[in-house]
Amino acid sequence: MSIPKKKIFCVIPAWNEEANIVKTLEDVILFTDEIIVVDDGSTDDTLVLVNNFAKKTNTKNKKVIALSHIINRGQGAALATGNELALSLGADIIFHFDADGQFLSTDISKVLEPLLFDEFDVVLGSRFLGLESEMPFSKKNIIMPIARLFMNFFFNAHLTDPQSGFRALNRGAWEKIDIEQDGMAHCSEIIIKVLKNNLRVKEVPIKVLYSEYGLGASGGFKIVKDLFLRKIS
Amino acid sequence: MLQQFLALTIVLYFVIRLFVQKSKDKISFSEFIFWFIFWMFVSSSVVFIKKIDSLAVYFGFSASGINILSYLALAILFYLFFRIRIRLAEMERNISIINKELTIKNYKKII
Repeated sequence: MSIPKKKIFCVIPAWNEEANIVKTLEDVILFTDEIIVVDDGSTDDTLVLVNNFAKKTNTKNKKVIALSHIINRGQGAALATGNELALSLGADIIFHFDADGQFLSTDISKVLEPLLFDEFDVVLGSRFLGLESEMPFSKKNIIMPIARLFMNFFFNAHLTDPQSGFRALNRGAWEKIDIEQDGMAHCSEIIIKVLKNNLRVKEVPIKVLYSEYGLGASGGFKIVKDLFLRKIS
Repeated sequence: MLQQFLALTIVLYFVIRLFVQKSKDKISFSEFIFWFIFWMFVSSSVVFIKKIDSLAVYFGFSASGINILSYLALAILFYLFFRIRIRLAEMERNISIINKELTIKNYKKII
């Protein structure tokens, strides 16, 4: 069966990622035609490197766009900016990918495939579906189960990975989801809004390489606080 | 008596500050009214502390009037803190929206 032609955009939020951004772009550009990098007020050379990469790479069929936040607003805010531009440029599918080199570009096709055939509206990469991610012990066995329980209990979200940043949604789905959480709470926010809108969701196994710990227990509390404040404000 | 005098002096200081800030247009009219009523309430409570004592007894509180006022002050402080947190969250959200629109506008200006 031939794959239907769709306009696919990758949105990469980046904050002080000069060490990883070029390698990430080199990997991702093999799997998508258009990449939007949102530099979230970096103080290093991330933006310069992205612009240089874009100059070298941009052709009629391949395009890397560098956006720059004048101030740092957080990963959720950077993704919201990237999404808005992608939608205005006619994206059929938008997927999110981290700039820190922890995701594997070889997982991209797995995440996109169910959307290309219009079988689902939302595909979420899960670190808990068989593929062995090198996740720190406490994160895997304490923080993530608590996060799962929280999402399960309060939002009826029966998903294996409540904090995955690797996701792809079709245009119709993104048009219904406005990312309002600036920080890391956007992951939970997107899941909550996906369920609220009764979108067709699929989880696919992905592998994540951990170079740093990432979200800890205090980050978890901040997510709960941000979700609560947004709910009542 | 001396304690009441001291408390009223402090209230007077804040009321004068309030008027000065309003005259310099540093606070809005609604904010001025809110704080003015608040300080009037505080000064009345100080002047009529005995009445609050009997009011506390009337409502069946075992604590004295000054204790009731302390609890009330704490409750008001929590409420104000809560309001500030919500307002701050709204402001943060608006900053992000401005930042987003500016970023996209700048990009579209370049291409």
